[in-house]
Amino acid sequence: MQALKMLLRTWRGGQLSLIIWSLVLAVAVVTSVSILAERIERALTAESSSFLAADLVVRSSRTIDPQWVQEAQQKQVQTARVLTFASMVYYEANMHLASIKAVETGYPLRGLLRRTTTPFTSDTSLIQEIDFGPAAGEAWVDARLLPLLDIELGDRIELGEISLKVTQTVVEEPDSGGTYGAIGARVLMNYSDLDSAGVIVPGSRVTYRFLMAQGASGADGFADYSAWIESELEVHDRLITPDEAQASVADAMDEGRRFLLLAGSVGVVLAGIALALASHHFAAGQTQQVALLKSWGISASRVRSLYMQQSLWLGIGGSLLGLLVGFGFSEILIYVVREWLPISLPMAGLRPWITGMATGLLCLGGFTLPALWHLPTQSPLAVLRQDVQVKPVSSVVRGLFGVAAVASLLLWYSNNLYLSLAILAGFAITALATIVIGLALLRAGKNYGQKMGSIWRLAASNLWRRKSQSIIQMVGFSGAIALLMIMAVVRTSLIDEWRWQLADDAPNHFLINVAPYELDGVRNMVSEQNLQTAGWYGMVRGRMTQINGQEISEDQRDRHESFRRELNLSWATDLPEGNELTAGDWWDKLDLSGDIAPVSLEDELAGELGLAIGDQITFSVGGLIFEARVTSTRSLNWDNMTPNFYFLFPEGLLENYPRTNMTSLYIPPQQKLLVNDLLRKYPTVQVIELDKIIERIRTIVSQVTSGLEVMTLLILSCGVLVMFAAVSLSMSERLQESAILRTLGSSRRLILGIQLVEFTVLGVMAGLLAAIGAEAAVAMIQRFMFDLPFAMHPWIWLAGPLAGGLLVGALGVGYSRKVVVQPPLEVLKNI
Amino acid sequence: MIEVSNISKQVTTTEGTLSILQQINLSLAAGESLAIVGPSGSGKSTLLGILAGLDLPSSGSVSLNGQDITAMDEEGRAAVRAETVGFVFQSFHLLPGLTALENVALPLELQGDKDALQTAAYYLGRVGLEQRTSHYPRQLSGGEQQRVAVARAFACRPTILFADEPTGNLDTGTGEKINDLLFDLNKEEGTTLVLVTHEHNLAARCGQRMVLAAGQQVTEGSAA
Repeated sequence: MQALKMLLRTWRGGQLSLIIWSLVLAVAVVTSVSILAERIERALTAESSSFLAADLVVRSSRTIDPQWVQEAQQKQVQTARVLTFASMVYYEANMHLASIKAVETGYPLRGLLRRTTTPFTSDTSLIQEIDFGPAAGEAWVDARLLPLLDIELGDRIELGEISLKVTQTVVEEPDSGGTYGAIGARVLMNYSDLDSAGVIVPGSRVTYRFLMAQGASGADGFADYSAWIESELEVHDRLITPDEAQASVADAMDEGRRFLLLAGSVGVVLAGIALALASHHFAAGQTQQVALLKSWGISASRVRSLYMQQSLWLGIGGSLLGLLVGFGFSEILIYVVREWLPISLPMAGLRPWITGMATGLLCLGGFTLPALWHLPTQSPLAVLRQDVQVKPVSSVVRGLFGVAAVASLLLWYSNNLYLSLAILAGFAITALATIVIGLALLRAGKNYGQKMGSIWRLAASNLWRRKSQSIIQMVGFSGAIALLMIMAVVRTSLIDEWRWQLADDAPNHFLINVAPYELDGVRNMVSEQNLQTAGWYGMVRGRMTQINGQEISEDQRDRHESFRRELNLSWATDLPEGNELTAGDWWDKLDLSGDIAPVSLEDELAGELGLAIGDQITFSVGGLIFEARVTSTRSLNWDNMTPNFYFLFPEGLLENYPRTNMTSLYIPPQQKLLVNDLLRKYPTVQVIELDKIIERIRTIVSQVTSGLEVMTLLILSCGVLVMFAAVSLSMSERLQESAILRTLGSSRRLILGIQLVEFTVLGVMAGLLAAIGAEAAVAMIQRFMFDLPFAMHPWIWLAGPLAGGLLVGALGVGYSRKVVVQPPLEVLKNI
Repeated sequence: MIEVSNISKQVTTTEGTLSILQQINLSLAAGESLAIVGPSGSGKSTLLGILAGLDLPSSGSVSLNGQDITAMDEEGRAAVRAETVGFVFQSFHLLPGLTALENVALPLELQGDKDALQTAAYYLGRVGLEQRTSHYPRQLSGGEQQRVAVARAFACRPTILFADEPTGNLDTGTGEKINDLLFDLNKEEGTTLVLVTHEHNLAARCGQRMVLAAGQQVTEGSAA
């Protein structure tokens, strides 16, 4: 208890503030990020499930086996069958090729349907969120079907043999967001009406979906059932998991999560540096106290035990406070991103709390204990003689302890070797550069300063005289600046990458199947509405008939729909933007004069079809046969919302076949009826609508971005703390020197001027060195973590020194104001 | 009480071996007082440090209360210091984060004294600071700070008190008061007193004086 009493008194005396805040911040950063990451993880799973409207889905081109449903009932797993197909719907003389979706009672198993009786409204108070579909005999339709068929809610539309009463308009389906949107206006109907409608006949192009979700049997029962389903799958069935449901959102979320991780790691390192500096400063202030204790006969082992116990109390107290602050931060972060989190967000488990506590204790072990370790060996003679001072544990050993603590924390916490290495390497490079280049800069400053005015001369010689302190301060400053710049760069490149999703005018509709004679008319309609397309692309419909001279087998047809149906073939002279060759050569390196046409395939599709470079494909286009050989494969960027093609040919080969055209464009909600006008005037044109899913992605991404901003603020406060710790290192010495200078008659202006020059010069040097470290670390992080191409960041080299000079200069002068405020006598009395 | 036999102290510097103390002998009985005087650099503080067991001589021996502390390890000397020795320093050495009362109580608390605060308050009263117990060192004058240090030294009931230039940082008037206090308490508590000083007045109040010059004992004997 004596140790605790001593600790509380030291705290009251104000000597512990920096250590405690560094510790609290380290623990708070880690705890808040861990809590957030874990809760987002859980939220993400729920969100992905809602994109599927289920926990798991089997998509098939065949009817769902009734045995699956029976087995599910036995195993108490929830299921719902969903069929989608295109069919004509009529109202009197009007008709429309609608996208029909028949859903079994129970749909959606996850997520919510949004419907309204006020068509085209965006007023959320008029929109209902429900977890069931239409009853038998009813149809819920896309609002734009009403003007298309010239009907109102309550009218009955004809579908095959039956009529359905239109009672609601559908605003959003949870599972509308596949890679492709719907062609034609949606008509949602009950599964039980299908038989009487008689629209499904053998040979109809229908997609069957079997939705499954955990039921009364719990997670284990569901896992059993999904394993059984997996064993039942045949070549025409495909299992879809929540992860695959919405790739672009999942990517943004995943990158957001990784950014949080990076931010958390940077925060830990920053708080660690602050803690190391604060502990060093604290230990320096304790040597006299230890000498005094020992002069009273307190043994070295007792002194050690007293300080160890104090450290332990400090660790426990600081960590507990950190956990609390961290929880508060996570609540704020969650408040910011609340929109896209499910309402019943599950609480985080124990792990974040354990991580936070371990961080506190490890930081203390890695940074504070090594700084205090030498204290018990202080000679009691120091009470009589100032020159008898014990040497602290060498800075190399302390550095190694610190690095070991940070490395183990980073690894445990991020579970990512590359990230940990990049941060450590960035920091090590900065620290090394600081020591080597920093010393050279200080020396140059001293030599050059001799030729300048008194303020500069004194400041430069002070920096040189205190060179070991100056270097430690520089390591602190440059480490903080480098880590903050790393954050800024990564944040900026992520947001840049997401820009299309955030951009208000990203294309949200595709127009396809535009015949050559319709092209001018469609173009005019679009430009009359002042809308911009992403350019027009020609397209020929063709079918694969043979691979390497062999007819397509039944087995192949079952395995992939591309073998069953017509494909979109297009052409380009140059490799389109966003495409990247993954194998083979582009046209410019090929001999195009042969009889066999070269073709470039999208690489994932090539893999699924079992095609490789050199394989020969026979195409049939409107009955005309031609041969092609795979000469390259490409990866595509699906995120940019411009037309992409699986099969590309050189220009000049396909133009003579019957062709159609396609484009993508942004249609704002208030001009949405253009789609109807287009379809009425050009009934064969198909419109793929992606506006709803894009809107949803945009909301999520902007929430994630706000979350990142909050996190950046938190990290910034860690950086400022490091700077404070570094500035306070030399404060007592500065106080004494200034007091002597003032006693000798120097003006306040001169003294503050010296402080300003010293800190600004330190800051500029540190900023410059930080740029080196930041550029190195960013290169690694972008390459290995975010898969972004390497790019230099010229602004870093300007911003580093500028921000360093301004920040450190201002902070230093602000902090050292008391140097001129405190009466010199008071200062000298305490020497 | 204190027996010193032939102690010498040499230190090795870059310029060779430096002799700080040579062949010092001394004997001081319980309750007596000794002043060590001499110019700066004559080895006074080094001798005080060795007598108090804070430092070791290069040769010779020192006994406190019949225990040869030069034959002990640091832990042994620490135990002797805890039992018998008290200090008053020129620069007071008060802990800035502790109040006057806590400063006095700290060594008692570390010895496990359950009545540390009461004892500390009693001794602060003895030095006339009963009204200032909750003040921090920065709120006290130099003289008051030294009085706290004196109270702290006596509160542990040492049998020997070592004082290193106890009035060196104080003006003459304040210094006189501290000296009076030191000697009064010394008399009342029956403590053996060893002090290092520049001041002849102070030295004159001690039973014995030792004059050092360049590490050598010039005179030794009772005060005139």
